[in-house]
Formats: sequence, C-alpha cells, structure tokens
Amino acid sequence: MFKYDYLRPASVKEACELLALHGDSAKVIAGGTDLMVQIRDEDKKWANIKYIIDIGHLKEMKYIKEDGDSICIGALSSHTDIVKSKILQKYAPFFCEASSTVGSPQIRNMGTIGGSIGNASPASDPVPPLIALDAEVKVVGTSGERTVLLKSIFANSYKTTLKVDEIITEISFKKMPTEAKSVFLKLGRRKALAISRMNVGVIVVVDSMGFVSDVRIAPGCIFAVPDRVKIAEDVLLGKVPTRELLVEAGKKVSEEMINRTGIRPSTEFKKPAIESLTTRALSQALEVE
Amino acid sequence: MVKKHGRRVDVLAKITGKAQYTNDMSFPHMLYASTVRCPNPHAKIISIEREQAEQYPGVVMVITADNIPGIPSQYKQKPILVPEVVRYEGEGVALVVAKSKVIAAEAAKLVKVIYDELPAVTSAEAALGKNAQKIYDDGNLLCKYKAGKGNVEEGFKKADHIFEKEYRTQRVDHTPLETEAAIAVPTTEGMTVYAPTNDAYKARLLIAETLGLRENQVRFITPAIGGSFGAKNYDAGVIGARSALAAMLTGKPVKMVFTREESMIEGTKRHPYICKYKVGVTKAGRITAMEIDLIGDGGAYLSKSHPVATRTLIEASGPYNIDNVKSKVTLAFTNNTYSDAMRGFGSPQVDFASEVLLDEIACELGFDPLEFKKMNHIKENDISGVGQVMTDVSLGKCVAEAEKASNWKERKAELASERNKGGSKVKGIGFALIHRGEAFGAAGQGIDTAEVQLLVNNDGGITILSSMADVGMGGHTMMVNVIMETLGVKRERVVMAPVDTSYVPNSGPSSATRGTMVIGNAARLAAEEVKDKLAAIAADVLGVLKEELVFKNEQIYSPGKADEHVNYQDMINEIFARGQTPSGRGWYTVSGLDWDRANGFGEAYLSYAYGAAVTEVEVDLETGQVSVDKFIAVHDVGHAFDKSEVIGQINGGVSMAVGMALFEDVDSKIGHIKNTNFDKYLIPTSLDMPEMNSIVVEVPTKTGPFGARGLGEPTACTAAPAIINAIYDATGIRIRELPANLETMMEELKNSRNKTDLN
Ligand SMILES: Cc1cc2nc3c(=O)[nH]c(=O)nc-3n(C[C@H](O)[C@H](O)[C@H](O)COP(=O)(O)OP(=O)(O)OC[C@H]3O[C@@H](n4cnc5c(N)ncnc54)[C@H](O)[C@@H]3O)c2cc1C
Repeated sequence: MFKYDYLRPASVKEACELLALHGDSAKVIAGGTDLMVQIRDEDKKWANIKYIIDIGHLKEMKYIKEDGDSICIGALSSHTDIVKSKILQKYAPFFCEASSTVGSPQIRNMGTIGGSIGNASPASDPVPPLIALDAEVKVVGTSGERTVLLKSIFANSYKTTLKVDEIITEISFKKMPTEAKSVFLKLGRRKALAISRMNVGVIVVVDSMGFVSDVRIAPGCIFAVPDRVKIAEDVLLGKVPTRELLVEAGKKVSEEMINRTGIRPSTEFKKPAIESLTTRALSQALEVE
Repeated sequence: MVKKHGRRVDVLAKITGKAQYTNDMSFPHMLYASTVRCPNPHAKIISIEREQAEQYPGVVMVITADNIPGIPSQYKQKPILVPEVVRYEGEGVALVVAKSKVIAAEAAKLVKVIYDELPAVTSAEAALGKNAQKIYDDGNLLCKYKAGKGNVEEGFKKADHIFEKEYRTQRVDHTPLETEAAIAVPTTEGMTVYAPTNDAYKARLLIAETLGLRENQVRFITPAIGGSFGAKNYDAGVIGARSALAAMLTGKPVKMVFTREESMIEGTKRHPYICKYKVGVTKAGRITAMEIDLIGDGGAYLSKSHPVATRTLIEASGPYNIDNVKSKVTLAFTNNTYSDAMRGFGSPQVDFASEVLLDEIACELGFDPLEFKKMNHIKENDISGVGQVMTDVSLGKCVAEAEKASNWKERKAELASERNKGGSKVKGIGFALIHRGEAFGAAGQGIDTAEVQLLVNNDGGITILSSMADVGMGGHTMMVNVIMETLGVKRERVVMAPVDTSYVPNSGPSSATRGTMVIGNAARLAAEEVKDKLAAIAADVLGVLKEELVFKNEQIYSPGKADEHVNYQDMINEIFARGQTPSGRGWYTVSGLDWDRANGFGEAYLSYAYGAAVTEVEVDLETGQVSVDKFIAVHDVGHAFDKSEVIGQINGGVSMAVGMALFEDVDSKIGHIKNTNFDKYLIPTSLDMPEMNSIVVEVPTKTGPFGARGLGEPTACTAAPAIINAIYDATGIRIRELPANLETMMEELKNSRNKTDLN
C-alpha cells in the first residue's frame, strides 16, 4: 500500500509551489477518479508518491463561460457541469455528449475535465471532441502561465508534457460556427459504465454550395496520443460528401492507426470497428445515408 | 392463485441500513488476518520464511499449514492453507495476523515463500491428454459418468440427417456484492464464527476439522448475506476456518474480509464446459438419437464437481423426446481456480449447448425453431433422456405462454422483413426451452435432507428454527409463507430465528434450487405437526373429526360449518392448559428414487422445473455490439407464494445470464487471472437489461410444498441460448463459444461476410 501525506493548498499558486517543492513525489488530485484507483492498484507510476495535493476545492477553476468567440472551461469543471452547460450544449454539443458517456453519475459528478487531460488515457471520452475543436489549455506553474495546444500536452499514453510544478487551469476553444455539425460516437463493451473500446469525435461544415468547407476527425483509443487524422479529413475537404467518400475517410483513419501503432493482435477488431465508427459519425453529421 | 402476503422478511433491516453484515461487526481486541498467496498456478513449497513479517510492527503472528491442529482439508478438497503443493495461483499458503487490516496486508508481502515451480495444466483437454503433468498422484481425472437409454447406433440408422456440433462455455465468477468475510471469536467452549454462507452446517464442519474440535464446539452464526449465487459454499468454509485458526492460535477475535481481487483470484467459479453432440434427425423432424460428450474443467479441487457433473449428464439432452440417448461426462482437475456450484449448478452450460443445437438443426432443416422444439419436447408421461417417466410436465403451457406473449410467428416475420430493408443494425428473435431437475436428486440421496423446527409460544407466536441461508432469494419469506398457509395464521405471528448452529437444526445448503422443494417441505411438515396437535384439540371441542378441519383466517372449523369455529389462539391456550406443547418438527428427505448410478438410468430427480424464453436482440453489424432489447421469461413455479418475489428472481437470473451470454469471462488462459475487479470483469448494468416480461405459470407438482417448484436457478438458464439464437436470427452467424463479446462478434461477422463473398 502506498502511504502519502495529504496537502490542501489555498490557491493555485500555493499548489504550484508545493509541486515545485516536492517534485516527483507529489501529485495533484482533482476528482480522484483516476488517481485513487491507480494508487490503490499500486500502479508503478506512483511508486514514489509522498504527497497528494488536493486542488478539488479551488472554486476559481470551476467555471464555463463565453469570452468573445471563445469558450473557456475551468479545469475543475466536472463532467456533469459540462453535460448541463447551456453554453456548451449550444456551441459544442458533441463535447457534452462525450462527457455524458463518462462512467456513471457518481463518476461524472466527481471526475473533472482537467483530470481527464491530466490522466492522458488514450481511451478518454471527452478528449477527442476537444482535439477536434483544436482546444488550447492554459497551464500555470511557479514561473508563470502559458497557453498551448491541448494536443501538445500529451507525451504518450498516460504521460503528459506538463512540468512537475504545472497545473492545467483552463481549457478553451473557438465556438463552432452555427452551421457546423458535430457528432461523438462511442463503442463500449456495455451500455453504461464502460471505458471506450473505440470512440470518435467529428465536426463538419458544409458550405452553401454543398461542399465540405471544414472537417475534423478525432478518433480515440487508437493512437498513443490523441490527434486529428489529416489524411482522412483531406478525403472530404472541398468535396460534396458521398457515401463512398465517408467510407474512404474511415479507411484512412484505420490506415493511420496502423501507420502509427503497427499491427497488433487487437488490430483485427479495431480496424473494421474504427472504420465503421468514423464513417457512421460522419454520415450522421453530414446526414448522408 | 397468486397471493400477496406483504413484506419480505428481511426487507426493513436491509432498506434502513440496519442489517448487520459480517464486515459491519467488530469485537473488543479484534485482530485482522491477511492471506499470503502463491503467485504460481502449480508449485511445490520449499520453504516459508516468516521472520521478516513477524518483526513488522503490529504483526501478532504468522501462521502456516504446520500450525493447523486438525487437518488442512479432506483428500482432494481445497486446503485451508496449502501444506505442500499449490494447485492454483492465488491459493493461501500462510496467514499474517496483525493489529490492523492494513498492517496484516502489508506484512503478508514480507512472507518469503520459496517455490519449486511445476508445469501448469490450464484446460480440461490438456489435463486429460496423454503425458499431461499430473496434478494428483493418480492423475487428472476428477470424475467420469455415463447415462442414456436405447441404442444410439440403431437410432442414427433411422435418421435422414446427422449433425455434429460443439459448444463451449466459459469460466464465470459469481460476483456477489459482498465478498467473502468472517470473524472468529474464541470462547471457553471452542469457537464462534460469523460469516455469510449458503450452508452453515457444512462451513462449521470444515472449521471443526481444521481446529480439531467436535462440531458442536464450533458455533456458526450467519449474519445478513450480501448475495452468493453459489459463491459462499466451500469458500465460506475456507475463510471461516482461516479466521478461526488465527483466533484459536492468538486467543483473540480475528476478522478477515477479502478484497474483490482476492475473491476473484481465490474464489470458486462456474465450471467451463465443452459439449460435443451428434444428433440424428428424420426428414419429418423427429430426433432419433443423440450422443453427447461433455468435458468439464473442475479446477484444482473437488468441491461439488460430482453433483454438478451428474446434473449436466442428466440434463444434456434437453427436455426432448428422444428414443436413443448416450451421454458421458468427464471432469478434469486443472491448475485453475476450483469450480463449484454457481446459479444453475451445471444446467446453464448444457442448456446453452442443447438449446442452440436444436435451434441450429431446426434452421438447417427449414423448420421454425419454436415449432421444431414444440414437436419434440416431452409431454406428460414421456420418458426423459435417462429413462425417467416425466410427470407434471408443463412445457406445453410454458411454450404457449411464450409464443402468445411474443406473438412469435408474426414478430419473426416482421423482423425478417425489416432486415430485408437493409441497414447496419439488424434485429432478431430467439427462443429457448428448459427442464431442470429439482434439488440434488438421485445422485445426492442421503445428503438431500432438511430439518425445520417451529417453536410455538403461549401467545401463539411461531419462531422458525432452520439453518437455511437466505442468500437474497427470499427463502426465509418462503418459509414464513408455508407456515402461514398451512396454519392459516397472520403474517405477524411468524418470526425467523437467526441462523446459529447452536440453536437451529440442519436444513442443508441453499443450493441446487432445493430451498423451496426440500426445506419448504420440511417447514410444511413441521407446520403439519403443529396443525395436527391443534386439530386434535379442536376436534374434541367442536365434536367433529380432526381430519376434516380447515385452518384459515386464524380460525379452525369443519367445511360448511364455518360459524361453528374455534380460534387459533384459543386452541393454543388450550393445548398449554392441557400440559402439552404445540411446537413441531419437520424432516424431509429426497429418497426412494430408483437410479442406476453405474449406467445413468432411471429416476434422476423427484420433480422438475420448466421454463421457456423469447428474446429480441439488435446487432450492430459494423461494431459487433449486441443489445438485448426484450425478454419474455416464462417459468412454472408450481405455486407462487409471492409473485413479486418470483418476478424479482426471474429478473435477477436473466441479468446473470445476459452477463454470461455477452460479457463475462474470467481471463485465465495460463492459470493467471487478469480481470480481477469490475473495471475489467464486466457484468451487466441496469441499462444492459432488456425490457422484461416475466410470466408466472402455476402447474403444481405432487412433491413441492403446496405444489411449488424451485425457481432460483432455472431463471439463469434460458437467456444465454435464447440470446445466441436471436443473434443467429438477426445475422445468420452462430456463436458456439461464449461470451458473444465485441471481438467474437466482429470476427464471426467478418467470417460470414467472407463466406458470402466466396459464394
Ligand atoms: C468507474 C470509473 C469509470 C470511468 N469511466 C470513464 C469513461 O467512461 N470515460 C472516460 O473518459 N473516463 C472514465 N473514467 C476515468 C475518469 O473518470 C476520468 O479520466 C476523469 O475525468 C478524471 O478526472 P479526476 O478529476 O477524477 O482526475 P484525478 O484522478 O483527480 O486526476 C487524474 C490525473 O490528472 C492529474 N490532474 C488532475 N487535475 C489536474 C490539473 N488540473 N492539472 C494537471 N493535472 C491534473 C492528476 O494528478 C492525475 O494524474 C472512469 C473512472 C472510473 C473510476
């Protein structure tokens, strides 16, 4: 059993200072739905843990607001906050949909979006929509604040590029244009309380002439770090969407998966599954049968 | 005939949180014990070094098999602690007793055990193969039985079509919410143990054997039980005996509670089965012969594998009229967690096989599967696959109810035409039919007994004394209902005594769906004795024959002369006034069955339960996802004491079987279990449950109390085959190995696409 001390800083600044002081032996905890499970399992990743720094009560990181043409989400917003947010329902409905599939009501009440990013699981549900939205994150450390692309936060599966003293405080993205359509689809082993076996978030915009003017395809569970799949998006960009093109885009996603992760025993299942999930998400977004 | 009698016996305590489970209890100076487990599936213990653990602050004692004053186990039964050879990964080799749970668990890691690793045999087929590594000196054969009737060779000659098929079922965990737990408290007489179990007397025996005490020196008390489904049989004895051993050696109360991982790794499981069938069928659709070869994985120890094997053997040919049947079953010892009773006790495995088999045959020959089964199923006085004359057969009624509720023919056609329209999600409908022997049956004669006593007080209150465990199935409520219906008294008069082996008689285990049939009958006989005593006095007072008296609404009277009645309470007062006691005792035994054990022929069970099911599923052809949308479960309960209890049982059984059909699979290919908690071992959530339509049929038997039949296990038998048959209807793919998870479905869907591409 791992033994550690529990620290409760009064501000983000103090939390960063504690992180800087204790280095590798300290870790922040938000909802704890990932961290506590991993510590109980004696995950090697936390073998050095001596301090848990609770940031869960820092209300200044719990908000969802509009800021001009952007949406800003405090890192401590729970999945339930996200699901219920009128702003997000309006400007990023597929992100609400993704958050609504996280675990169970209890997990959604405790778990935070900052934790989903901090955990860096390839199977996260809320992350693919954020990747599709080209979201940015605000990161605060003892030496100040920086804003970077969300994508750049992921180093590998379950590994971030955050420095030891850094905390994610905010996630932001540009509002989707009103004509944009977004879809999130998840394939789990059962209908609730299921970690994604596969998921995908897509955004499409079709211009008045019927051509695809913007398309983002962000699959989950198939790469070590989440990403959009440019070669799949290129299949559709500037085209009038047809069933054939959607199928083609799905194939490109699986091609990219094999390019990046090679052929594994699970590929036999994952390849056709991610192809159909992608095609299905695109066809729902584009209303192409 | 369905009556409403109000509350379940245990409901108030449970919903108000007042029910005391073992883990809720504690005693002054209580210590905690943790198990040191072997990390190899097969190994010889060379040495155990305790010193480091003993020196850990807070540790009181380290215990190994050498410290057992009695015996670690009977021959080939799972030892409380392994003395020499570990036969599956996760077995206990030592105990660490400490001042806290955390210290005990931490110090357990410091016990250094040196092993000599042995090759592990992790499947029944491998274990039975030539030159297989021996798990016991005399080999790996656990048991072998045969059964049948007629002459299959002759039967096959009469057939126009011969089918050969093979089915496989997986290892499944019981997953009750409450894991194994026990608290042992040393007393001047011996030992008191608190633990949840299906069978208090059996657990007590195991503890007495371990401690080297007489049985009556051990007092076994069963607190509230958080589910069992068969898990708390031998496993409860093991944890009870470990805590008792630690309590005896330290002289202090000792508590043990398994984590979910410990329960997964060490606890019993459902027997995995391989079922091979050869069937002969005529053009007209009559089955002329069936040859069955069953191979089961018993795991490392005996437990109740013999009766499970016998049941699978008897029921493997399904509820069908077949003149020639030849079946055999072989169970092997393997280096896996030991297999034991699990809801269904063998039936779900062979029901899956035989019900999918007949569906396949029907479809291949162009029959409607339901019609085909209707044509072949046994009717009153038909002969079963092992030569038993079947009576009180209600299959016809069950099928008719299922057919009506599902609107089978129309619905099947409707779904087929929906499928013709195309689309990536397709729906299908499936059917399954079952028969199931009640209680242990012929193979268990001599142990299938129950005693129940009724303590009747001066105020007419009745206390039921019985060791029956209410593992959640409502067994105690059933007994209260039996007493009420027999004596015509109000519900408030009847109270269930706590299960405490120092006071209550042995009613046997809550397993094999014997509760209502065997224990219910003992309760009825106890109530009959009370009734008889009261009737003698009432007859005297009323001046009528005691045989003609009716007990109803707290009154005793002769039919037709209800106004000339006496009251129950007055008769109680009178019997005490005469210096007698109204208390009663009931003893029921399953006996007189004419069963030829060597040849597997004759009267296998006193009675049978019947059921039928229709389900609708939706299959996502692109992702392999299966959704069970609707489920019609028809069960003949003979006599429903309480309809809401019956429906609760059915829903619970179906949910377990949905898990078996679609998700659950203990991943242990090399003798190492990978999915040890609910993040990886998936059971159905409420959203995975279909819309349920549970239909209660009441065709009484001659044997059960008030004609009642058992229900707990049959409910878990129909869903897996019905779902798999519905998947076939939807997609044309036939799953012969459970579970039908995403990967299996995708692979089969791909294979079937490849096949159509070739054509
Ligand atoms: C039963 C169960 C079911 C689940 N089901 C799903 C599911 O269906 N889909 C899904 O996507 N996830 C699921 N999860 C995972 C989990 O709920 C999410 O990843 C969750 O949102 C994590 O948030 P948290 O606040 O609880 O994180 P925590 O456990 O508190 O933290 C997780 C990690 O992130 C770090 N961290 C937390 N906040 C910050 C921050 N602001 N800045 C920097 N680092 C930070 C922590 O140090 C830690 O390493 C499930 C978990 C459980 C236990």
